[in-house]
Amino acid sequence: MRIARAVLIVLGVGLLVVGGIVLLQDVKPVRYVGILWWFAGAIILHDGILSFVIVGISLFSRRLVRIRLVPILILQGALAIAALFALLVVPEIMKKGIGTANPTLLPLNYGLHLVVFYGVLVLVTGLALVVYRVVSRPSARTSA
Amino acid sequence: MVIGRLLGAAFLICFGTGIYSHFLQEPLPWMVFLTRPIWLYQLSQGIHITAGILCFPLLFAKLYTVFPELFRTPPVRSFPHFLERASIALFVAASLMQIATGLLNTYQWYELFPFPFRQTHFALSFVIIGSLAIHIAVKLPAINQYWLKKNSYEADGVTLVPATSPHISTSPESTEHDTTGSDQPHRGLTGRVVRWIEQTPQPAPRTSRRGFLTIVGVASAAVVTLTAGQSFKLFDATNIFGPRKQGTGPASLPVNRTAEAAKVTISANAANWMLTLSNGDVSRTFSRDDLLALPQHTVDLPIACVEGWSQMATWTGVRLRDLADSVDAPAGASLRAISLEQKSSYAKTTVGPEYVRDELTLVALTLNGETLDIDHGYPARLIAPGRPGVMQTKWLSSLEVLA
Repeated sequence: MRIARAVLIVLGVGLLVVGGIVLLQDVKPVRYVGILWWFAGAIILHDGILSFVIVGISLFSRRLVRIRLVPILILQGALAIAALFALLVVPEIMKKGIGTANPTLLPLNYGLHLVVFYGVLVLVTGLALVVYRVVSRPSARTSA
Repeated sequence: MVIGRLLGAAFLICFGTGIYSHFLQEPLPWMVFLTRPIWLYQLSQGIHITAGILCFPLLFAKLYTVFPELFRTPPVRSFPHFLERASIALFVAASLMQIATGLLNTYQWYELFPFPFRQTHFALSFVIIGSLAIHIAVKLPAINQYWLKKNSYEADGVTLVPATSPHISTSPESTEHDTTGSDQPHRGLTGRVVRWIEQTPQPAPRTSRRGFLTIVGVASAAVVTLTAGQSFKLFDATNIFGPRKQGTGPASLPVNRTAEAAKVTISANAANWMLTLSNGDVSRTFSRDDLLALPQHTVDLPIACVEGWSQMATWTGVRLRDLADSVDAPAGASLRAISLEQKSSYAKTTVGPEYVRDELTLVALTLNGETLDIDHGYPARLIAPGRPGVMQTKWLSSLEVLA
């Protein structure tokens, strides 16, 4: 175990050094400020905003909805998937609105597709809740 | 642990395929590349981009599982703990930046990052894998303990506490109730919040864990299914969010850089265009009609872009090796392909002997049965098996045999 940890740390430090050298060699110093801004932005977004929001939502949903766990998980899952696709697709919609280098870049109607996707997500979520409600009824198990 | 393994695998896949793509574009002098299977780069770069997009749900899921660690007090317990947290901060920041800029690069939204994408992406890949290796080293005892499922749970389904680090837990279910890390009584507003959190009912660990993994699995499957069609024909029908769509563009093939953007519209359409081949003092020129008069060959080769999209196409033209032989190029010689384009790092590319001598490498004149569109490289372009799209030089001007 100690040897494996030592090897991993030496490998990790070595790769960090390689990354630093590549950065120094291939990127002009004037660009470092932009990279640092992105680094700082990522840390602030993650540690300062998203972590509080997500942990808050997670706790709040469990406190508010004193029902069984599975329906909460289904709703949380649907919300998480909706948020994920908003993150992935909304920038595409924005960039397409601004304009692209040529018509084959972002050629689809991403806004419409996202609306349709959300519609399907709502349907599937509703269906999953109904199925859970039906199969979790005690009478459903005994009346067959 | 499952999410961590998948994320680690995804990052390593991205790293490996990214390194391969990098050296295809900037080969070291001794490097020789495979030209078979012809879809090798299409596959490797498609996997690179698809795995990169897959990192979004996996990374967010992993970050979610360790969110409670952020709220522990004291935030730094020792110097090694400080180094551990610093390496994690570096890993998180670099990873978020890498996948975000990588995604933006797939639709060329460069205005959002004030640094060169390719060089920064390459440098950050080492930073990410390096900080990941350090993180794995720090967590190795816990990873070792939790590697097997039977060692991870008590009989009632509660996650076992690591023997070597009693204050660290690895699942969201087992940590959310223990966010203070302190036995001190809670006072004031903070105390009320902490009590509120502590009184939050706990879900059943096993059910919660299964539910969480199901959500991550569904999200990951949806992301791949709805975007991977830009790289893989199999998913074309379900490609509704990919930045590219197969079958679009001139001759039903997408375009990466147009003639207008490359500022070659006039020179490429010029009636006196000639392709010049040179080998030292020996030089020959070919008009497009001259090229069309040479033996023509038709091949099916994919155009596979570094941005991840790819599509198979049918190309017809002159074998590059026939042109090389016309100026007595040695068998092991490389060629330099030069474009009419002036201001581009890819205006000149080196074509290694493995490509020059390959029977499938063409100076293409037609695409999918049509005269090559100007946005696809009219009057002539290079197409070779297993090379990135940016290296398939468009708007050819000259080919030089390298000593």
